Amino acid sequence: MVNDKESRKIVDIIQDFARKSSLFVLAYGTGCGAIEIPPTMTSRYDAERFGIRGAATPRQADVLLITGYLATKSLKRVIRAYEQMQNPKYIIGFGSCTINGGMYWDSYNTINRLDMYMPVDVYINGCMPRPEAVIAGFAKLQKLIQAGKADGWERYQNNLEFYRKNQKKIIHNWVMPDYNW
Amino acid sequence: MEQELLDLLVEHFQDRIAGSVKSDKRVEIFTSTSAIEDVLMYAKNVLGYIHLVHFSCVDWIEENEFELMYAIFSPKSKITIMSKVRVDRENPVAPNIDYIWRHANTFEREIREMFGIEFTGLIAEKEMILEDWIEMPPMRRDFDTAEYAKKTFFDRPGREDAQDVRETIIKRTGEELPEFSKKYSR
Ligand code: SF4
Repeated sequence: MVNDKESRKIVDIIQDFARKSSLFVLAYGTGCGAIEIPPTMTSRYDAERFGIRGAATPRQADVLLITGYLATKSLKRVIRAYEQMQNPKYIIGFGSCTINGGMYWDSYNTINRLDMYMPVDVYINGCMPRPEAVIAGFAKLQKLIQAGKADGWERYQNNLEFYRKNQKKIIHNWVMPDYNW
Repeated sequence: MEQELLDLLVEHFQDRIAGSVKSDKRVEIFTSTSAIEDVLMYAKNVLGYIHLVHFSCVDWIEENEFELMYAIFSPKSKITIMSKVRVDRENPVAPNIDYIWRHANTFEREIREMFGIEFTGLIAEKEMILEDWIEMPPMRRDFDTAEYAKKTFFDRPGREDAQDVRETIIKRTGEELPEFSKKYSR
């Protein structure tokens, strides 16, 4: 088997299969979309069928769900939580507020485009997305993981300067640690 | 009963207050920053208006004034008194009332942050809801949120054909848009 950069080793495939089958989601809701998480997780839609379940702390989680509008104040906390998570980690932008600002596009304290501040792997459209849509978004993420294409965390490390510049533009009092990955 | 209450207040404070009966169980009084503490104290301790329901602020930019509104309620008479005070917009200072109702402290912090009104003698942290805010207080009507959002956050292309809700409603109902709101609406 040729092992240049393009083809993936068999161990990668097995690893990615394991990763996609157990997605631990950080239980942290930022916007009103978080109200769709309980029905997604409980018996009606039961996302645990797909290996999706909640994690209590960032260090145990694989997926960070940004459930809707993100105030500049909570952006700071979200960045902190994201940087504490272990690689590989994924971000799902949930609801139209994360895509273009949604109905809060002209608000003075909610960001408009999440992907300028954090590397988003999957966007779920809707205001707010129903549990079916949420599960479809997760299924999409699983596909990307299996194909080795969910590389948000790598993008974040490689383009840290770009993300930092945008983050510092709205967080004036910067108190985060510096990293040397 | 509302009229009796109003008469009582006017009799006690003479020309320091003016007011009217707005509707059933609702009395509106206008007073000044120097008299508001006395009025609230009197209403609370003598008349039994023991509950501060709400305390908020309105920006009357056309008159270059802020209006502070104190809604107080008596569980006995079930009447709400809306006491209103105007402060100058250039130099907005109002008396602190958190020694009358402790929870007024929270309202005052919010008003200070959102409208920039200073309350003399208020002891509280400067920041409450906002963090690292350096612009003009955001609830003032001359603060252009859309402009601010445009220059601070990143727009995603594709919203250009979005319609103005006001204009759509006006077209449908044939209402007139008031002159002042034309200047401050989008
Ligand atoms: S997209 Fe809609 S439901 Fe989601 S946070 Fe924004 S306003 Fe709320």
